Amino acid sequence: MSLKKLSVKISFYLAMAIVLASLPSLIRSNYWIGTVNLAIIYSIAVLGLNIILGLTGQLNIAQAAFWGIGAYTAALLNTRLGWPFWATFLVAPPTAAAFGVILGFPTLKLSGRYLALATLGFGIIISLIAHNWKEFTGGVDGIPGITSPVLGPLKFSTNASFYYLALVCLILLALAQIKIKNSRMGRAFQAIKDNELAAELSGVNTFKYRVIAFALCSAYGGMAGQLFAHGTKYVSAETFFVDMSILFICMLMIGGAGSIAGSIIGASLLTFIPEWLRFLQGPWAMAIFGLAIIIIMIFMPGGLVGLASFIGSKIAMHLRRSIQAGTGRTTSRDVGVSKGTE
Amino acid sequence: MFDFTTLAQFLVAGLAMGSVYAFVALSFALLYNAVGILNFCVGEFVMVPGFIVAILLNSLHMPFLQAYLITIGVMLVFGAIFHRTIYHPLRGRPFLSVLVSTIGASLFLKNTALLAFGADPRVTPGIVAQKSVGLFGVFVAPQYLVILATLLVLVVFQYVVFEKTLLGKKMQAAAQDRDMARLLGIPVDKIILITFIYSAVLGGIAGILLAPVFYVTSDMGFRIALKAFASSIVGGLGSIPGAIVGGLFIGVVELFCAAYISATYKDVFAFIILIAVLLLRPQGFFGEKVAEKA
Repeated sequence: MSLKKLSVKISFYLAMAIVLASLPSLIRSNYWIGTVNLAIIYSIAVLGLNIILGLTGQLNIAQAAFWGIGAYTAALLNTRLGWPFWATFLVAPPTAAAFGVILGFPTLKLSGRYLALATLGFGIIISLIAHNWKEFTGGVDGIPGITSPVLGPLKFSTNASFYYLALVCLILLALAQIKIKNSRMGRAFQAIKDNELAAELSGVNTFKYRVIAFALCSAYGGMAGQLFAHGTKYVSAETFFVDMSILFICMLMIGGAGSIAGSIIGASLLTFIPEWLRFLQGPWAMAIFGLAIIIIMIFMPGGLVGLASFIGSKIAMHLRRSIQAGTGRTTSRDVGVSKGTE
Repeated sequence: MFDFTTLAQFLVAGLAMGSVYAFVALSFALLYNAVGILNFCVGEFVMVPGFIVAILLNSLHMPFLQAYLITIGVMLVFGAIFHRTIYHPLRGRPFLSVLVSTIGASLFLKNTALLAFGADPRVTPGIVAQKSVGLFGVFVAPQYLVILATLLVLVVFQYVVFEKTLLGKKMQAAAQDRDMARLLGIPVDKIILITFIYSAVLGGIAGILLAPVFYVTSDMGFRIALKAFASSIVGGLGSIPGAIVGGLFIGVVELFCAAYISATYKDVFAFIILIAVLLLRPQGFFGEKVAEKA
């Protein structure tokens, strides 16, 4: 990497860090910071989904259930046993992952379509239990009074302060996923996605890696749920109905499955778009939303990130051509160099 | 509580509800067979005709037969439009893309119906009297008998079409191996279009049958779709007889569990059965292949 490229990269990250750090003072409105926090938490859940769906190519329609398991673990340990944030932080994601493995072990042997329907069934069972087992989960009334995280003298009780905590979690989890993606494990996931039989024949223990992918996915979901519980200080069965799992899938597909940036962009956009469409009445917004999903699926198969890289490659090709035209050496070989999106 | 008449009444009611699930599961299974998609919009295939028939009967006071025929006619067009917009542009893409696209369609239809028809549940009169009829001392709602009779007719029709006509054989061939079918001169795209239309019509029949016994609301689709998914897994994903048997099974089990165990967890049983079947016999009652084709 040339020095110039490196400095461009560094200044980009610096600018982004400044924007992200000053976001609460830029926004000011407590409500909108709350929405940003929600977008961050959704991003974490969608990042988890990206591991199983984007990297490994399996469908999990129960991410909201893992989110709910994480949220209830945190809420119950916090309100009943008085565990602080950091204790539930350590316990909630593994609990969700344990459920993921329990569900994953028997069903991951099945092909993708069966897994899709099995996870859907699991999501519904968890949601119905949360709705109906009122002594334990509070049902629709939920569990109020969850305490805010405290770190030494710092108390993350306002939306603006919680923002930093959630942001750090998101960045760490995104970095972890970059590491996973580029590791031996990540390549095993990719091999399973591309061709499971070929992966198996090349010596990849596909079952093991599918279980690991599933556990990681549910751990991310549990982490998101735990943050949600402590961030909003309230958990109810309403927040993780099956609709939510489907919304997570839409977030990922719209942002760009397989892409870490895409997961975050998709989750953020789909958190904010319904807010912006508030001036339309609920059903109008949702009907347009449904239509938008179809259009995106048809015209942007790689999601927004795929579209961006497609436009980027077009611009790059255009620039290269105009430079070559300027220096007067256009070869036929260069025409159509960067066709296609992938 | 366990006397014969009560049991028989529950059985008939369960079978009737199960027949409706069977129609929807069949609609789901046909598309799965033909093009390998999981249609998450299958519930709206029932909701849309439910509303159409409710409006034709309640607001426009049409005769039954006319209303039913118009509804089926609308579903013919609906199936063709669904094929053109939701599936056809995405053919050849991974099944996930089509799945998300059907989710989009479901959201769109559900909320459009809410805007157009409001949130009030509608109930339509049935073609037969509401009063229960006695049959060997067992009292059942006549609409249940209509539903069961329709299922019987459909099973015969389905068998004749699929096994005895050229169109049915072409449909089977296209579902089994699209490329081979194409090489043999079968117009596969047209056959797939016909499958989509047939699938929508099955949903239409389910909607018409369901409207007199089940409130028609804009969000009824999801619940129906979930039962259809459970039915088709239990019967064997993609199996035609499996969809029918699975639907009946889910209908009966659900009713008995609701009656004798817990009405609150009524919806849970279908999914516990679903997961149990996946654990013990993932290919379902009638399915053959489970692992993905290499």
